[in-house]
This record gives sequence, C-alpha cells and structure tokens, in this order.
Amino acid sequence: MTEKVKYLSPEWRDEAERRLKTELPPERMNFVTSSMSNIYQNCPPDGSEKYLYFKFEEGRFAELLIGTGVSPKPEFAVSGDYKTFASITRGELSAQKALMTLKLKLKGNMVKALKLASLADRLNKVLATIPTEY
Amino acid sequence: MTNTSNDPYFIDFPKRIQSIQAQMQRENIDVYLGSRLRTLSWTTDAFFPWRSFIVIPKEGLPTAFTFVIDAARAADDSWLDEDHVFGFAPMGGQDQIEQISEFIKEILNGKKSRIGIESGMSNYLPEGWLTHYEYQQFAAALAGCELVNAHTIIDRLALIKDAGTINRFKEASRIVDVGHHAVLAAIQNGGYKGMTETGIAGIAALAMRRAGSEWEWSFTGGNEIASGYRTGYAGGACTPATRKEIKAGEPLMVDIHATFKLGLGDHSHNYLIGPATKRQRWHADNFVSIVKKTLEAYRAGITPSKLAERMMAFAETGGFADYMVPGFEHGIGMLGDEWRIGLNDGPFPFWTNPDHIYQENEVLICAMQYACPDESIGFRYENPIVLHKDHCEEMSKFPLGIEEIS
Repeated sequence: MTEKVKYLSPEWRDEAERRLKTELPPERMNFVTSSMSNIYQNCPPDGSEKYLYFKFEEGRFAELLIGTGVSPKPEFAVSGDYKTFASITRGELSAQKALMTLKLKLKGNMVKALKLASLADRLNKVLATIPTEY
Repeated sequence: MTNTSNDPYFIDFPKRIQSIQAQMQRENIDVYLGSRLRTLSWTTDAFFPWRSFIVIPKEGLPTAFTFVIDAARAADDSWLDEDHVFGFAPMGGQDQIEQISEFIKEILNGKKSRIGIESGMSNYLPEGWLTHYEYQQFAAALAGCELVNAHTIIDRLALIKDAGTINRFKEASRIVDVGHHAVLAAIQNGGYKGMTETGIAGIAALAMRRAGSEWEWSFTGGNEIASGYRTGYAGGACTPATRKEIKAGEPLMVDIHATFKLGLGDHSHNYLIGPATKRQRWHADNFVSIVKKTLEAYRAGITPSKLAERMMAFAETGGFADYMVPGFEHGIGMLGDEWRIGLNDGPFPFWTNPDHIYQENEVLICAMQYACPDESIGFRYENPIVLHKDHCEEMSKFPLGIEEIS
C-alpha cells in the first residue's frame, strides 16, 4: 500500500487492523490479554474528541475501534492532543517522553503498564508504517 | 503474606479494614486517605519505604499507592493483590496527586464527600503526616469534597494488639536475643579489644539477620552502640554507632533492633568493660535495681505519670535520681509506629498523654536511660513489653544485668 490514508479514518482503521493481525502474532504480543484506548483531543477539523480502542485476548488481536465520544472502558487509557499522537506515530516524539512532559496522560495501573510498555511500542511501530495523511 | 489462621503470626487484615470502615461510617467519612507509615504497615502488612498512601473506601478492599519502582514488591509482600497496589511516577496522569485523586473521584462517582486524612505533627521523623503541599493539592483536585482529620480512627484501632501482632513482636525479640548472645560471645574474654562500636553493631546485625531479622529498623541509627562517655549523654537516648574503639574501664551500651513481619524487636543491654571501679559498679547496680522495679510496676491500669513518679521516688531514695531521665516508656506498634503512647489526648498535642491509662494487651517499649555525663557513664534499658491485668511480660528474655567483661 502506497496511497496515503487519513489518520483515524475508517480506511486507516482497516489498514491498521490488517497490519496488526499480520505483523503482531500472539507470541509477539506475549499472549497478553489487555485493552487500551488512545483518547485524541482537539481533533481536526472541528476540535472533537476521538478514541482508538485496542483489545488483545491471549495475544490475539481482538478488536480495534475508532469513534467519537466515550470509549469502551479499557484497562489503560492514554489521552492527549491529536497533534501529540500524530507526532508519536510519525516517530518525532517518543510516547515515554510525551508522558514525562505531560503531553500525554495515562490512566490505569502503572505497574501493569510498565510490563506492557514494550508491547505498546511494538504496536505503535506497526501503526507508524501505515502511509498516513495527518 | 500471612494467610492462615493457624499461623501464630496471622493477622486478620480484612477484619482490620472492616473495623476502619465501620468507624468511617460512624464519622460520616466516605474515603480514608492514609499517609502515615504506621497506617500503611497496619493496613497492608507490607513495608513502604517511599512516600506512600492508602485509600480505603466505604466498602471493599483498600488500595495502596507508592513509588512505581517498589509497587510490585510491596504487592508481593502485602495481603493485597497487584490490582490494589498502584505505583505512581512523574508521568502524565500518574503522579501521586492526580493518580490518587482520580482514583478517589471514581470511588465517589461524582458525590461531594468527606475524605478522612492524617494531619498532625510528630517527634518521629518518618511519621508521614499529610504535608501542607499535599493537602493543598488534594483539596484542589478534589474540589467540593471536605478533607477532615481522621487519624484517630487508626490510632484507636491499633492501640490494643492482637495475638498475631504480639507474636511477631515476640519473635523479633527472640531474634534480638540471638544478637545479644552473639555480641556477648564476641566481646568476652578480651574479644572486645580492637573492636569498634560499628563493629559490634555489625556482629549483632549479622547474627540477627541469620536468625531471620529483616532489618535493624530503628531510625535512631539501626543498632545503637555507645561506649565510654557516649553512654552518658545528658538525656541521651539515641546513639548511632561510631568508629570509637571499645576500651577497658569504660561502659558499653548495646541497643539492638530486629524486624519480623513488621513486628519490632528493641532491647538494650549494658556492660562494664573491666576493670570496673566501685563507683561504676554502684551506678550499674542502681540502674539494674530501677529496671527491675519498673518492670514489676508495669501493668494495665497504671499511667506513665504515676509510674514515673513512683520510679523517681525510688531513685531519690537510692540516691541516684540525679542520673535518671524521668521517662520510662515509648510507644511501639507495627513498623512506623514508634513514638507516642496511646491517643492524641494529652496536654501537649501529639505527645504522650501522661495520664494515659494503660490497658491489657497494649505493647510498649519499657525504655529507661541513666546518664551521668560528669563521670562518662550511662546505661539504657529498652524492652518491648505487653501489659496484662496484673503484670507485664518482657518480650526480650536476655537476662537483665550489667556484667563486667574482662
């Protein structure tokens, strides 16, 4: 795929799902069962809030939802500005630095989150390969 | 974690939480936010060396919050599972104020409520009262809620010790006795020559660790060893070991500490490194006599002031009142509870009430200090005791005496 898709659009979601399923088999996800929502604030063009909800069951990719309003309750929620998430996906900013500089906020058990940090990195790296228009 | 009622060290922590929650209900408190080390120990059964908090809801399990690097270990040690021990860190949404206040908001579900906090002062540095800054931050984050001082809930419930707690103290005291035997074996028959106070502290520590102690817990310097003039500081009751060499003709004070499952051992024994003078022997005999007298006097129903009056009268009669520090106790509980006796109901806020009436199954440290700085001599006695109706039980069994070591 070389054609760019709009970030967080239905097309981007479908491509994300396809890549996550093929590139992150259960063993690469340490057979984890967890869920996470990215909460995007100030999304263009109208400043609305969107969410991107991931769910893994025993390492198997189970669900990927994009929507507006309230996300399904995840184990972890990461919230921040749309531009911050876009910078992370483009590889300009690390998620860790964004958290440490208050550009992102994490909600959930931090100890468990630390155990899953490397998995989140793997997931973000896959998403970063999608040709995306922000 | 101790989890069976057949275990002599078993403590029913869920029952403790339910007791707190019952009292919260009586005081119309929706959430209790504990910050004192003593509260953390008493409710979680784990050691929390970092700034930590516990949130106790009206119903259900409490959740502890500590520095993220130690949260997994604390959860492993506690009866609480990892879903009830959270780690905080300087990250968005994860700093202690936001993490805890958001957690409390979820519990309250939008209701403007009364939140119990722990505010006060202490002579004991690691107490852990909510700081002014923390109070301001929580008050702002929990706008609309009323923060009320509620530490007495824990203090009252923790006053009388249950069997598991007492047994933990007894085991810690047994371990301390192992340390004392090791020190005696090392210093006698000329063994003291060339030794330093820090060396003796280490001998005790090694023996106690081998016997199962987790830590020489005291904030006053771990194992407190003093020799010569250092035993006789005026009012002295805190002697972290130094590199001072043990010398013939000097007194030696060995005040050592062990920890067993957050129960604390604390026993001080004294020696005269021979040859002792008649005057030194006189001082030593005075001290042993008043320790015996004090231990005979301790029981339920007595108060710190009555006991002090009686003992100081005894010292006056014996002609050594000038050398006695007129205090005979300090408080003790699970790790972090080390200073005040009883509740905060005395004439000086957050100090021991001299008219506190001791009750059965209170545990305290019988603590006495003899100090004669002009003659470079002093002694200390400390021993955890449990109070019964008509006597006290000394937990450390190392024989009372001040032996001359040759």
